[in-house]
Amino acid sequence: MRVRVSLLLGALLLASGPVHAFNLDLNKLIDIGKKTTDLTEVGEQGEAEIGNVSAAALLGAAPLVQNEKLQAYVNEIGLWLAMQTERPDLSWRFGVMDTDSVNAFAAPGGYVFVTRGLLLRMRNEAELAGVLAHEIGHVLKRHHLVAIQKNAKTGLAANLLSMAVDNSSGGYGEWKKKAIGASTELYARGLDKEDEFEADRLGVVIAARAGYDPYGLPSVLQTLDGMNAQDSNLALLFKTHPAARQRLDLLDTAMAGSLERYASQPAMKGRFEKIVGEYARKGK
Amino acid sequence: MTLRRLSSAAVLLSISVASIAAEMGQTLVNTDLKSEPFADAKTLASLPGNSAVDVLKRQGGWMQVKPAGNSEGWVKMTAVKLGGATTNAKADSGMTALWNTAMQGRSGNTGVTVATGVRGLSPEDMKNAQPAPEQVKKLDSFAATKSQAESAAKSGKLARQNIDYIVDASGARK
Repeated sequence: MRVRVSLLLGALLLASGPVHAFNLDLNKLIDIGKKTTDLTEVGEQGEAEIGNVSAAALLGAAPLVQNEKLQAYVNEIGLWLAMQTERPDLSWRFGVMDTDSVNAFAAPGGYVFVTRGLLLRMRNEAELAGVLAHEIGHVLKRHHLVAIQKNAKTGLAANLLSMAVDNSSGGYGEWKKKAIGASTELYARGLDKEDEFEADRLGVVIAARAGYDPYGLPSVLQTLDGMNAQDSNLALLFKTHPAARQRLDLLDTAMAGSLERYASQPAMKGRFEKIVGEYARKGK
Repeated sequence: MTLRRLSSAAVLLSISVASIAAEMGQTLVNTDLKSEPFADAKTLASLPGNSAVDVLKRQGGWMQVKPAGNSEGWVKMTAVKLGGATTNAKADSGMTALWNTAMQGRSGNTGVTVATGVRGLSPEDMKNAQPAPEQVKKLDSFAATKSQAESAAKSGKLARQNIDYIVDASGARK
């Protein structure tokens, strides 16, 4: 990958005469060329671009719930959580997806989704916060970005480069197609188990930092553990994540001694039941 | 508020309460039933594995339960598997009952699972997803500002804490 990018960069530099006529910002190109040798270093703009197409793919599979009040609520809670992390200034976006499937997703650059099927099985805001914070953890550690780089030997970095060159004509359809293919493949296959465990550990701390009872995420894992494994609404979640019981047991050990003392922080049952209950009662 | 509204609110409230009170579980292993949600609280009884319990309340990593033939007490949440002990019946948690009631009301049926016509998210669906950029634009319109997030936290009396991340499975911190 590194060699390929350098070659492409070299070729573009050699061609700088004619390319210049197409409005090429050479300094910008060199700058991005240096960064794109490794996708983890594409910079926040490249990360946001990949996240944008990944989010479009997810929402193509299941659209947003049409309930502004609910979406605004999830965005306020989500951003409050993200503000307690080392990346508070990303363009954080949170959404509830209109599907019975039980799941939650993250995409690079600050996109976080929870499905209606999972949201309706929660009991309080601390559980919602725990799930959102787990997904925020994936974004913080760039888990999807790194996995796309590792698995999609599609020259994404090189294509990011050409995107930067040709950003006026919108002529990066090919790049977008590749990015969408790589991300949907990843969502169908899932991240490494270790990434999930890491996001669990980050999630409970972020929830506690934000003032919640940190046992919201373990509580959701317990719900998942108690559900019928044959339920088709769980198919993707169970295929792409380690067993809920294992995650729950690992978290319980990791939290003992450090997070137990925050267990008396609010779970915000009343507000959750009011807003999510109002949505649930409408049945859309 | 009219009486009719009040009574329908009461019905909704009872559904909400019922959906929560209906949660059942069973112990996975031999478990001490404690008088309070602390490891060093008084032990009320020792529950064998596979004891059926009604889940009454949660607090942190603990659950208040009512085991058959015992008075209520607290057990570690990790000691309990949710769902019925002897049947395949799985209790619906959270707001599921409200949603199902609303969907049944809409279709005019009762007790029938309603097909919502919404696409699912199976592994196959995910692979075949066609991008929906207009949905991402819509998502942008729901974004919160930091001051909105802060006031939501304030109205919930959520107090910010300084806590280090847990860096590995043993619970060690940065």
